[in-house]
Amino acid sequence: MQPGLVLENASFRYGTIWVLLETNLRVSPGETLVLTGENGVGKSTLLYLLGGLLPATTGRVLLDGEAPNVTRPSELVRKGIRRGFVFQHGGLFANLTALDNVLLALRYHADVLGLDEAGIAQRGREVLRDLRVSQHDFHTLPAYLSVGVRQRVGLARALAIDPNFVFLDDPDQGLDESTRELVLELLVKLRDEKRITLVLTTTDPEVVARLGVRALELNQGRLTSMQRMSRA
Amino acid sequence: MRSTLPFDPRHSRAPELTFVGRLGHAAIDRYQRGLALLATLGAAVLAVRTPGVAAGRVVRRVLLLQIFYTGFQAVTLIGTISVLLGATIVIQTELMVPSADAALIGKVLIAVVLRELAPLITAIVVAGRSGTAIATELGNMKVSSEILALTSLGIDPPRFIVMPRLLASIASVLVLMVYFAAISLGGTAAMGLAIANIGLGSLQNGLSGAVTVYDLGLFFVKGVGLGTIVGWLSCHYGLQVKSSPTEVPQMASKAVVMSLLGCVAFNTLATALFYWTVGPPLR
Repeated sequence: MQPGLVLENASFRYGTIWVLLETNLRVSPGETLVLTGENGVGKSTLLYLLGGLLPATTGRVLLDGEAPNVTRPSELVRKGIRRGFVFQHGGLFANLTALDNVLLALRYHADVLGLDEAGIAQRGREVLRDLRVSQHDFHTLPAYLSVGVRQRVGLARALAIDPNFVFLDDPDQGLDESTRELVLELLVKLRDEKRITLVLTTTDPEVVARLGVRALELNQGRLTSMQRMSRA
Repeated sequence: MRSTLPFDPRHSRAPELTFVGRLGHAAIDRYQRGLALLATLGAAVLAVRTPGVAAGRVVRRVLLLQIFYTGFQAVTLIGTISVLLGATIVIQTELMVPSADAALIGKVLIAVVLRELAPLITAIVVAGRSGTAIATELGNMKVSSEILALTSLGIDPPRFIVMPRLLASIASVLVLMVYFAAISLGGTAAMGLAIANIGLGSLQNGLSGAVTVYDLGLFFVKGVGLGTIVGWLSCHYGLQVKSSPTEVPQMASKAVVMSLLGCVAFNTLATALFYWTVGPPLR
């Protein structure tokens, strides 16, 4: 078994448009990888592919040696592989409050995670507080939350299940300065967290510079290495 | 490593198709759509066997909510339609056969209400009310990346999304059919008393003389079949939305149209099979 994230000769296309052409890639456990590229080049699609949310057209993706099953993703969790995903436009469950968004996966996997109802509630509240979501917003539906709070709730939901893999799609997009700073601090913290393999997309050179990690640029279906930039 | 791609997209375009090629392409497309339709149902059925006690608890909660929305909230509408239809049947029977007695009215009611109207009208109401709601909800979930979010959190979409809606649709159609039949017979009794001077007791005798064990079997088969069609197609077309909000109403409309077509076709097929197999004892 190869630990970490492995892309084996993987390609992906939407209809006749090829987003990724036969690519091999390895992200070691605990490593942070930044994906960049121009708007519309397919960074989000590539991130979904790496995270096992989309099946590869050819080749395969392995997370800690396991090929994710799109229709039965719970198999991965039962094997101890947990993913946290933050979507560009939130991806929060519209009919659940901020707190319930965070608690849903904890409840669904309570037996695997070894949590009882009190533990679930405590974990959900803790992670929301860590991301500075106010108590008042816990019981608010996502539609009534600001963009910044929605993004923080999305992060809290991704981190609540104690993931080994975290995928972030343009995590600092559309945020005010203080929320952006909070997200950048969190990214640095996640980068230094050796249990977590982190992959994120961004168009912001400052994020790449601040993290100072391996960065790959997606262009016409090919990934090319960018020069490693020094940490700020 | 040798390329597995059908062509190199950097240097060449996909070849232009001939007429036969386009025909073949359309046939493959239909075949794939059929497979996708079956895959939606298959994945939901197989999801019953997915392990996970806590997941089972969460899914049961979703199932109860869906039964509430699909079944309980349709009670008033079904009640109103059934009582009016029951009364209409008595009026029409009286117009055609002025000398109609309780036995004849009982026979007509069993044939029309129990075997045909209760299953079909209930399925149509559920498809119109809940089918659109399910397809729209799932379509919006696709557009806002909620389905991807479920997958990323290790929550199985067939188990969490499709299975509870499918089971709720089956349970709701079955229970609402019983309710439809009961209320409709009540409407009939009231109208029978008013225009044909047929008492409740004689109507009861007429009904119990006309109903057979086969009718109850057909009633159950139709309930399960029609409930499955509505739940299955509504979920399937809702999940076919790709990423644009404009696809949501299109798919919701398709879900209802296909559900209605499927229900009418299934109802006819079940009735035809019923008459071919157990027809003679019913005449």
